[in-house]
Amino acid sequence: MGRYVRRRLIQMVPLLFGISLLIFLIIQAAPGGPEAVFLENRLFIDPQVIEAFRQRLGLDQPVPVQYVRWLAAVLSGDFGISFTTGRPVGEMIAERLPATVELMSVSFVFAAVIAIPLGVYSAVRQYSLFDFSATTASFLGIAMPVFWFALILQLLFSVQLGWLPTSGRDTIGDGSLFDQLKHLVLPAFVLSIRHIAGWSRYMRSSLLDVIRADFIRTARAKGLRERIVLTRHAVKNALIPVVSIMALDLAGLFSGAVIAETIFAWPGVGRLFVQAMFARDYPLLMGILMMGSFLVVFFNLVADVAYGWLDPRIAYE
Amino acid sequence: MFIARLKPLLAVLVIAIVAGCGPSVAPSQPPTTAAASAAASPVKGGTLRIGYGAEVDNLNAFTSQFLTDIELTMVEGLIVSNDKNEYIPVLAKQIPTVANGLVKTRPDGKLELTWPLQQGVMWHDQTHEFTADDVCFTWKYIVSPGSEVYNRNSYLPISDCRVQDKYTAVMVWDTPSAIYNGLFEAILPKYMLDGKDIVKYDGYNRSPVGTGPFIFVEWKAGEYVRVKRNPNYWRGNQYPYADEVVFRFIPDINTRLNAVKSGEVDFAQLTPPQVKDAKDLPNYNLILVQQNSWQHFDMSIKTPRGAKIFGDKAVRQALFQLIDRKTIVDGVLEGTVQIADTVAPTTSPFYNPDVKKYPYDPAAAKKLLDDAGWKVGADGIREKDGEKLSLTALLSSADAIGKLYWQVIQQNMKAAGVDIKIDTKDAAARSQVWRSGQWEIQISRWVLPADPSVTGLYSCKGSNNMTGFCDPALDQALVASDQELDQAKRKTLLFKAQELLAEDAYSLPIYYNVNPIVISKKLGNFKASGTNLGSFWNVYEWYLGK
Repeated sequence: MGRYVRRRLIQMVPLLFGISLLIFLIIQAAPGGPEAVFLENRLFIDPQVIEAFRQRLGLDQPVPVQYVRWLAAVLSGDFGISFTTGRPVGEMIAERLPATVELMSVSFVFAAVIAIPLGVYSAVRQYSLFDFSATTASFLGIAMPVFWFALILQLLFSVQLGWLPTSGRDTIGDGSLFDQLKHLVLPAFVLSIRHIAGWSRYMRSSLLDVIRADFIRTARAKGLRERIVLTRHAVKNALIPVVSIMALDLAGLFSGAVIAETIFAWPGVGRLFVQAMFARDYPLLMGILMMGSFLVVFFNLVADVAYGWLDPRIAYE
Repeated sequence: MFIARLKPLLAVLVIAIVAGCGPSVAPSQPPTTAAASAAASPVKGGTLRIGYGAEVDNLNAFTSQFLTDIELTMVEGLIVSNDKNEYIPVLAKQIPTVANGLVKTRPDGKLELTWPLQQGVMWHDQTHEFTADDVCFTWKYIVSPGSEVYNRNSYLPISDCRVQDKYTAVMVWDTPSAIYNGLFEAILPKYMLDGKDIVKYDGYNRSPVGTGPFIFVEWKAGEYVRVKRNPNYWRGNQYPYADEVVFRFIPDINTRLNAVKSGEVDFAQLTPPQVKDAKDLPNYNLILVQQNSWQHFDMSIKTPRGAKIFGDKAVRQALFQLIDRKTIVDGVLEGTVQIADTVAPTTSPFYNPDVKKYPYDPAAAKKLLDDAGWKVGADGIREKDGEKLSLTALLSSADAIGKLYWQVIQQNMKAAGVDIKIDTKDAAARSQVWRSGQWEIQISRWVLPADPSVTGLYSCKGSNNMTGFCDPALDQALVASDQELDQAKRKTLLFKAQELLAEDAYSLPIYYNVNPIVISKKLGNFKASGTNLGSFWNVYEWYLGK
């Protein structure tokens, strides 16, 4: 196992290198450059100012030169300076990470706590009223646009009932835990809906497969109680594919949610990404996208390792 | 569909006019009910919560691309523009004019402007006094090659800044410039920034030091900027009234409106389509601030095809007459805006009401096109010499209102045999194409300061002339107006320029943009301004009533 993990880690290097090249080219290929921030404010701009701006940021250089410069800096641990704010990219991402991790982990845990029992119960009571309702609700959850659902919840819980704040991470001047939790409720709930819907479906179908397997019949034949059969044997085995899917979703813990963070004015990485994209802030975009890519690759490895650990039949040697 | 929406929009318009927002007066005045409901005398204390849109890039007035409001709470300049589209002195005691003797012509033909400054003004940290040194330091920074100040070219005619004494700065202008009174909207502290690379200096750009009514406290990335009362404010102990101002960044427009509805903010910027949802909120007043900004229909002659089609004035005038601005204003914008016929805002002293107008007149337009040789072809589209009158409109994907009014124009034009295709690009991509001149037609906005100079837009070599049009007579009027210090003479020149601009039919103004703002009924002394410096010019006297 150790050798396998080492090999996979080494393979990540050329992979990430390739990804960085690809992302860099795609970002540069998008029409319009970072000077758009000047042009979009609709004031009369001195064209020489735009030239000075391009020169300072090295945008007057050919794309390959820009890439090599970026890569050289990254290899020495420097992700560059944001075009818009002039601050180090690493610092900007780091200051957004806590908010994103907080929001995503709460919604992740909440989703897991709901989705797994939901899927199990649906499978056990297949074709019952509960199963049909859960199935319908899941499809609704998957299909529902986040921005719409978020605004509806705001209207209900903030505007009508006045229970929860519409947006933000805390009330300015009130740093209490209760206040922060209140701010978490809506965005975390909105984000967890899709996970709940998706994971419960996986859990249900996975458990349905397992329940019909021979070893479950054996367990029942041994005279084990149904409860034990289900928890000790069936659910544990059915969790294997579900856990690997959840592990893949873990990458999102750090890269954040673009739409939900924007709507709820949540100061996370996802919103930073949107800002960077509209401003064509190349270094910041590269920083966020490379972090996201690394995490996807990394959690793929985690999923594979978890797979082997949960299912002894799978061996990586 | 648009007609059906007419009634509620009329109601809004009526509210605006009854409340003293009529087009002839300052349309930005808050409704009278606002003044009545706020406490009669200013109340001290309280936190002003502002629901702001996109997060700012930095807090340096000169290097930020979209700051103004936040800056104006902390940083002051020699001047600011007020709710009447005038420049008023702030850190300057007086704005130099020929009349008050502070503008003098030297024997060598250069101008000397003497700026007397306020005395006893301390920078926020109370360690240094604001002096003429800071003014000249700011000038030096702006004109330095890498300053990246968007209007650096306006400062270039200043060849020298001299500290006459601690409280007097003298500037030498090589060529006369009528817009001298709108410059130096912020002053930088020399003691803090001398020797620093200001564009990159976070020590100032993320925690500025000014002389303004509020002092910087904190900026939480992605969340808010908070400023607190300056207890030593130079205008007197009573100012500012509020203890704190918090600018919360709420990028989503719907969330911002929800934050208003749930009482989380005292002030928020909205968009015109939200006006109908925001006009009857019990604790807020809706104010439509007419901006010094207008939407304009342009044609580019920088491509051979464009030059061929739009080189003919009859075609341009015909296209103008095919744009039903009334339907756009009443239908798409729900009556929240006014039709524009010229570039100067109606609130400006330079507004010329008597320019040639292009009302919607399909019959006249068709005749113009027929006479110009553009005959309707078999497919219903006009053509001439093998060229189809099929035009591509450049549109930003972020422009939600643009998508709606282009539908109106598309229909108007189609009925007259002019085909319009819409080319939607994301904002940055659109800007690039637009600046290159490689487009056919487009509608977008410009934002003017209190001064109405449009030389950069419509003079032959104007740095922001994206269409390629050039009329020597117009050019002369524009350039002369920029150099004319006599207000009356300047007005004549600018009136002439506006007439020529309309006569030449290079650009059709569509409507003046409005900026809908909702403010708490408790907020007193708010005096909306539509200039590029925004409405926070008098934030020192804002207060939150009981």
